Amino acid sequence: MGEDTLITKERIRRFHPARIAEHWIHVMIFAVLVCTGLSQRFYTLAVSQWFILHLGGIDSVRIIHRFAGVLFSFGVAAHVAFAAAGIIYKKWQPSMVITKKDFTDVVHNIRYYLGLETVPVQSGRYSYKQKFEYWAILTGVLIMIGTGFILWFPVTITKFLPGEIIPAAKVLHTNEALVVFLIISIWHIYNAIFSPEVFPLDTSIFTGYLSRERMLLEHPLELAEQKEATRSNSPAPS
Amino acid sequence: MEKRKRIVSFALVLLASCLLYVGDAAGSTELSDEAQACLSCHGRHGIIVTFQNNEFIEAYVDSEKFKASAHHALACSSCHPDFSEGKHPRRTFRSKAQYQTKAALVCKRCHRDEQIKAKSIHAVLLSEAQKGRAVVCTNCHGSHSIRRVTGARRFTSEEEYCMKCHGYPLQMTFRNGETLPATVNISMLQNSVHSKLSCSDCHYGFSPEEHPKRNFGTPRDYTLALSEICRRCHFDKYTKTLESIHYTMLSQGNLEAPVCIDCHGAHGISHIGKERALIARRCQRCHPGVYETYAKSVHGSALFTENNQDVPVCIDCHTAHTMENPLSQSFQERIPEMCSNCHANEAVVGKYGLSTAVVDTYLSDFHGVTLKFYRMQKEILNKPSKPMAVCTDCHGTHNITSTVGPDAVIVKANLVKRCQKCHENAPKNFPDSWLSHYEPSITRAPLVFFVKLVYKIFIPFLVAGLVLQIMLHIWRYVVNR
Repeated sequence: MGEDTLITKERIRRFHPARIAEHWIHVMIFAVLVCTGLSQRFYTLAVSQWFILHLGGIDSVRIIHRFAGVLFSFGVAAHVAFAAAGIIYKKWQPSMVITKKDFTDVVHNIRYYLGLETVPVQSGRYSYKQKFEYWAILTGVLIMIGTGFILWFPVTITKFLPGEIIPAAKVLHTNEALVVFLIISIWHIYNAIFSPEVFPLDTSIFTGYLSRERMLLEHPLELAEQKEATRSNSPAPS
Repeated sequence: MEKRKRIVSFALVLLASCLLYVGDAAGSTELSDEAQACLSCHGRHGIIVTFQNNEFIEAYVDSEKFKASAHHALACSSCHPDFSEGKHPRRTFRSKAQYQTKAALVCKRCHRDEQIKAKSIHAVLLSEAQKGRAVVCTNCHGSHSIRRVTGARRFTSEEEYCMKCHGYPLQMTFRNGETLPATVNISMLQNSVHSKLSCSDCHYGFSPEEHPKRNFGTPRDYTLALSEICRRCHFDKYTKTLESIHYTMLSQGNLEAPVCIDCHGAHGISHIGKERALIARRCQRCHPGVYETYAKSVHGSALFTENNQDVPVCIDCHTAHTMENPLSQSFQERIPEMCSNCHANEAVVGKYGLSTAVVDTYLSDFHGVTLKFYRMQKEILNKPSKPMAVCTDCHGTHNITSTVGPDAVIVKANLVKRCQKCHENAPKNFPDSWLSHYEPSITRAPLVFFVKLVYKIFIPFLVAGLVLQIMLHIWRYVVNR
């Protein structure tokens, strides 16, 4: 969000190496959480039982899941803290914040898909698809962190709250986990891998660069802003 | 005068019987003349001899039986030496027993101790006799119907042969001086499941020819040894008992640990399971405390007050033969299975208004899932498991109370204490985190119910929305090209 964007002939710098590292870390911890979490949720499946037994049993899986959860919580906390600090102190543009335009974009884009509009939506740094995905994942993750800790310390929690909180947290945790997993596995994976525009892989989050061609196609407003910014030498948008 | 009359009548009878004998000379009868003379009176019913204690016997001899006896060729006076053709003294005896003891002494005139001692059963009896106990030959061998010793084959069954002695009050003495009755109640045996077996099928080594002398230290030694016999037929049950806690205790030297006979009895063995209350009572003999507790529980009281045959008795959980140590981890881990035998079976618990969901709600919750994996881990990874809450940890074991009606409050009130056994310092709200086997509903756990409901609606919408967008996107891409 606060990276310097370099404009080269073919590629435009889009993500700071710290962002790339952050994505990698979250991908890995997320994978651990998904495997250790879903195998517990769908414990009757043979594959879940195979996985749990190969990790040394249910207790080991629970411990791995909890500590991966702690790491993930730190990652999310760091992400939120950096974003907030960047917006407040470095005057980054809150480019992830959903605006009224995003809702009109949804309608516009669906009309475009159906052939009712001639041109696709003109997106800024993040398209409405990316924004909604981001916020859905972020809320889901926050819910899971909260409910995860409730499930980890039921005795402490019930000192202050009614007992029903525990099964409610369990239902919330597992269902929200499924929601996040479905968003990632259907929406994110499609957009990053299977979408015909990026297939076989959208490499921008791994290399940090996006081609000018795709930039023009997918983030024309951001490209225009960058041109303006380089011209006036003002801080880059976040 | 009286005596004269008698002698005259005796002579007349003798004459008459001689005539009869001549008439029947072609017959097979080999009775002595004297016997025939005696039988002319004693072969008829009606002669009663009364003893001083008012006991009486009928001085009747069944001539057919006597003819068939080993002694048929003897004259009556051979065994009744006081009597003869001219002598018929009147004697007085205190009791029937005294008469029989006295009368039997005559046997020794022919059957010397040295001769009969060769047979161990006689050796035992003779040593008893030396100690002053009356040993009456006729009690076992009969009197006028006496058989040839090898003539057991003439008995219709082995049982009949054995009962000849063991139908009378007999006892066996052990080295430590204790005794056990060796009397068999024949009607008990005939009503038992073993009614078709012969005595020697169980008491092998014994037969009409053989009666070895056993030498056991104590009655318990004898019981333990005899229980070994059962495995000759019931080998499957025997191998099961080898794994049981009772056998373990026995092999560790606790001779009071129960063996087959202790639970099943000996001659009166019946089909177990017909009367379930009796099963519990068998265990009661050694486990009175547990029995008391069980009798007060929801299961026990239904059994004993209503004779309810649906409720579990001891062996339904502990099994009858395998009987694992109930404090062992593996026993504890099988408790949900034991309870689900009835509590997941609509046919059993349905009529009492009990829900069969209790098992599934447990199994799909934290404790149930963990237990499932612990058991799997032990089996596959050979990993020792840790204690996990099962049915009995909340409901109790032998003292299970009803969870409906007035007892429900007590169960609920005690729940937090049960939780605290594992979850130290669990607060009073803590037990509510378990939904008490209820599926969440608007009235029970509304929060859980609504969260579930929201996701039930939201997830299909989400997936449908995302997939639709993807399809539209692909379609547009294809159209644009």
